[in-house]
Amino acid sequence: MVGVALSRWTMSYFAAAVMALIAAEAVMLAGIGYPQAPIAAPESLLLVHLVAIGWLSLLMCGALFQFVPVLVVRPLHSDTLPLPTLGLLVAGLAALLLGFAQLGGIVQTPFAFLPAAAILLGAGFTLVLWNLGRTLWAARPLPLPARFVVGGLCSLAATVLFGVIFALVLGGVATVPHLVDVATFGLPIHVIAGLGGWLTFTAIGVSYRLLAMFMLAPELEGRTTRGALYLGAAALAAVIVGGAAAICLAGNVMTAVAIGGLLGVACLVLYGRDIVHLYRARKRRVVELNSRMAAVALANLAATVALGIVLMAAGRFTDHVGVVVFLVGFAWLTGFGLAKLYKIVAFLTWLECYGPVLGKTATPRVQDLVTESRAQKWFVLYFVAVWIAAAALLLAQPWLFRSAAGAMLFATVSIGVELMRTRRLANVAPNLRLPKGVRPPHLLHSSVQLG
Amino acid sequence: MTPQANEAFVERIREALRLVIDPELGYNIVDLGLVYDIEVEDGGVVRVAMTTTTRGCPATGYLKDGARDAAWSVPTVEFVDIALTYDPPWTPDMMTEDAKRHLGIM
Repeated sequence: MVGVALSRWTMSYFAAAVMALIAAEAVMLAGIGYPQAPIAAPESLLLVHLVAIGWLSLLMCGALFQFVPVLVVRPLHSDTLPLPTLGLLVAGLAALLLGFAQLGGIVQTPFAFLPAAAILLGAGFTLVLWNLGRTLWAARPLPLPARFVVGGLCSLAATVLFGVIFALVLGGVATVPHLVDVATFGLPIHVIAGLGGWLTFTAIGVSYRLLAMFMLAPELEGRTTRGALYLGAAALAAVIVGGAAAICLAGNVMTAVAIGGLLGVACLVLYGRDIVHLYRARKRRVVELNSRMAAVALANLAATVALGIVLMAAGRFTDHVGVVVFLVGFAWLTGFGLAKLYKIVAFLTWLECYGPVLGKTATPRVQDLVTESRAQKWFVLYFVAVWIAAAALLLAQPWLFRSAAGAMLFATVSIGVELMRTRRLANVAPNLRLPKGVRPPHLLHSSVQLG
Repeated sequence: MTPQANEAFVERIREALRLVIDPELGYNIVDLGLVYDIEVEDGGVVRVAMTTTTRGCPATGYLKDGARDAAWSVPTVEFVDIALTYDPPWTPDMMTEDAKRHLGIM
């Protein structure tokens, strides 16, 4: 096995994910959910899950179906499962959103949307875990970045398990006292396992490899990287296992969260040191837009951690937990996701179109598929809008938050247009765009072209 | 084949391989230092040892096929064998000075 194949359905995941992000930002612009409604209100839950599942999880799944094989230099266990998996996840998300709308009195039908969502999302994410898990299992011993992904997938399993229990309890299907206890006290575990474990820990693992690859920096496998892995894994175990044990034994979940938080901050400090080293030790003097914007997102992660610590010290964390979650979701994860998406779409499109004619005719570079100068202003607008939105949340200025959400929406749609231009080869010079044997790629899925 | 003719033949193959670019770096694989060795045997048999910038890269198969097709385009080549190796692993120091300058490699 010398290389890995192109993931056929990754583009479909990306398209669905970007549409979900645009929908979520439109919901914020419309003033539905937090901060106009309490953070635990059904409208807020609808918004949060549209972002967490619709945007971030679909993005992550699509990316992992392509990049786990790259990390472990082995093919994906199944190339046919991602499509039905996507169907289950999208249907499950729709049922979940309708379930929240039902709870909020927006939708008034007797259909049990939440239990249906539990089944569909449970099945969809189980297929994700099966496919990626089998791929990783077959590749043991795993390189360090892949071990972060394993930690992320374990956290996904926990997030989904808690989510399924919540949906069954809220949907009135599960009435067993223990499960009701989980639904009552388990929310911090669900949120931290999802945002901190599944999304952040996995993104950390992938970033070690992608940043090194795209900037020609040395791949890190030293003490700080191992330290970040072990501390992060310990943090997640403290929150998930310790928290679950606390619920079962009528202990205090927040003790487990506090221990996990301390370990998590230590993990992020080591990760930060590694990332600074990666950027400094890079061989490429000119850093591409994706790596520059990833750096902004990483700085946002550091700033979010600092803000969280300050709020804790001031005894105001609970008052502003929504700001911290917003920053994790949009300043860090979405910023990093959009930055890497900008590169990955170009890279996969190049492979699909020009890989088969390599050596037969002159081909453009991956960078020829994008126009960074045009895209950069949309990224800048996005990040500035996110910072303003976060400030508006801190200062309790809902109108300012909605205005900033409008700017985020505009920037995201503009980045989406750039991604479509890349996919359509619209940025490639006409004389190189379609050499003999190359046809424009499908927008939503990849197929190997015969050179 | 005399040593001079052999060297000229290898040079023609090397020139043909310059048609193949590493998509990420956007520069040809010869000057990036990804082609480790070119051997010519009797009967137009060409053996190329090459690598990629990173192990497991999805472009690996295309780079290998591209190098094979490019070498095969040289007149009198009858058979091309491309061997992929990661020993030694590629580093940016293996680039030519022109490639380093072009790519802004520090």
